[in-house]
Amino acid sequence: MTSAATTILATPASVKPFYFNTSAHLLRITRQKSSTLAEFLDALRECPDGSIFQHAFRTLQEHHFIREGFSNDFAHWALSACNEPSLAEGLASVDVREFTSVAQLRERFVQIVEGFLQRSPAAATRIARETFYFCASDSVVIPTSFVAHNLREFAEGLRGISVHSIHHHFIEARLRIKLMSNDFSQWLHEDLGLTETARQLNRIDIYTRTLEDVREQLVRVVERALA
Amino acid sequence: MEPVESQTESEVAAQENQSDHAAHSVPAPPERRERRKQPRTWETPPSPVPPPRLDDYQSIVGAADIEELRFLARELKGKTVKMVNSTAVGGGVAEMLNQLVPLLNELEVNTHWEVITGGNDFFEVTKAFHNALQGSDYKLTQNARDIFLMYNEQNRQRVQFSEDVVVIHDPQPAALIRARSDSSRRWVWRCHIDLSNPNAEVWNFLQPFIEQYDAAIFSSPSFARQLAVPQYLFYPCIDPLSEKNKDLEDSFVQQVCDEFGIDRSRPIVTQVSRFDRAKDPVGVVQAFKQARKYVDCQLVLAGGGASDDPEGAAVLKQVKDAAGEDADIIILDLPPWCAREINALQRASTIIVQKSIREGFGLTVTEALWKGKPTIAGAVGGIPNQVIHKLTGVLVHSVDGCAYQMRYLLTHPDFAKQLGENGREHVKENFLMTTNVRRWLLLIRILLTGGAK
Repeated sequence: MTSAATTILATPASVKPFYFNTSAHLLRITRQKSSTLAEFLDALRECPDGSIFQHAFRTLQEHHFIREGFSNDFAHWALSACNEPSLAEGLASVDVREFTSVAQLRERFVQIVEGFLQRSPAAATRIARETFYFCASDSVVIPTSFVAHNLREFAEGLRGISVHSIHHHFIEARLRIKLMSNDFSQWLHEDLGLTETARQLNRIDIYTRTLEDVREQLVRVVERALA
Repeated sequence: MEPVESQTESEVAAQENQSDHAAHSVPAPPERRERRKQPRTWETPPSPVPPPRLDDYQSIVGAADIEELRFLARELKGKTVKMVNSTAVGGGVAEMLNQLVPLLNELEVNTHWEVITGGNDFFEVTKAFHNALQGSDYKLTQNARDIFLMYNEQNRQRVQFSEDVVVIHDPQPAALIRARSDSSRRWVWRCHIDLSNPNAEVWNFLQPFIEQYDAAIFSSPSFARQLAVPQYLFYPCIDPLSEKNKDLEDSFVQQVCDEFGIDRSRPIVTQVSRFDRAKDPVGVVQAFKQARKYVDCQLVLAGGGASDDPEGAAVLKQVKDAAGEDADIIILDLPPWCAREINALQRASTIIVQKSIREGFGLTVTEALWKGKPTIAGAVGGIPNQVIHKLTGVLVHSVDGCAYQMRYLLTHPDFAKQLGENGREHVKENFLMTTNVRRWLLLIRILLTGGAK
């Protein structure tokens, strides 16, 4: 048996098991709210990091069932409440996977809104149809009953965990590990030596799929490695 | 029920379009119209059913979600919680506590529910406070303050508050915070009403009490106030296992439609709500009449509140006047215990409308979304939290907009179906009883252990 096959089917003593966790979030209402784009820009600069996390990362979990037309809360508000499609497009194009810190992500949103208001200053004080309320998440990490010692158990875990757990390991993780990667790919690469499988997982698009679709894709990639 | 001061858009239009229905109404066969006049409903409430257990929800939300609740509760085993409100029966808060308290106890978070006592004078004052906090005119007198504080003091002396977490629901028992003697215990104020535009006198009286709590909870960010304590967002929820929301046999749905003379072979547009101007039922009739010029459909307006409320009776009369002799408009004034029939009507519907012009959270919208129904709703109150325009439903701001969306959804079934599917998932993720349990466990954990990151 080759070493790769051993890794897939058995549990070499040196392999660190993958513990599937999940995170639960409680929404806190912050002091920031905006009824115009000028107020929105101020709030974007001042709001707690937890608000940027909530409205860009967490919202993907809250709306995990939507396949198209939803990227983040800021873009949705710019379109539905401010009727500013070009700003909405700009905000929607922000891909959270390209950021490993909330500070970088905040800066990107601020740049987009600043740029738009420089080009369209009249839009700054127009009253939006609905007020945007900045919220933030208080999060608690909790274990699940799934643990993987090899690739087969990893696939079983992926099938059994909740979509919250998928979001925790696959999307939120990059803020935690500060890498352009995710917990699943990190384990496959570092602990099982399955670099290509790790790379394939990391390429799965989270914006054009529901989280259930993402789960299916994850399982499919892992099953291919098992075959 | 509070009157809407200004004339609604639909009332203006009603005067302009009085002849409209006559030109487009299609009389139903006489025997069907006869049946509709005397729909048969139970004359007494059904017996209460025992509250569900956690495992009962597994087939709905999945084993992983239930397991997460058990893991979340593990660190809270043996902790004690007291929920305090002002009524044991009737109203959304009591209904919610009836289900939440047994579920928390099943998870071994020992939860006790206490109902405060008071005389008629107390409940008259607190009802006035309730309305004033939601924007009604009110002059706060010293006598009202004294009555409020006296009964809160009586309850403070009557009830022990030795639990790890004490949760006070709504304004009535808010002054019980004065019973707090130990700083290690946590006190939370759960506000179920809209405080976005409160009567200043009443709010200024209550705010110093609220700011002694460790946290406040609101049902929507738009309902909250600026406070010196952390504010959390707990959306209201529905119970998917209740009579109002559980799955039904299609034979029962058919039976209810037959009873009420509803033709399931044709599209059915339904609004379920009290006969209240805030729900704009007359506007729904007008929108329906506009839409039906282009697409065949029936309208069902199912609600209650007309028999014991003069304002409701007046609104019901307006609705009947607006409907005229149109046999495709089916108006049902149902008693409050007809939850299963309401469930059946929602499930039989092609589209559900909630064209409110003022709204709390709008749990009838939640119910509609949970049943996977494409939903048209007024963009007011807590509705935009549920209906994300063109993703989980459609939001409207006028009779014309409502009429257009009726036509559009009835003629674009694939889009309507997608909205319905998304709407159901949105409710599953955010507005079910199990999510509510999760939020309480999280809050208790965060308050007691500082367990947030």
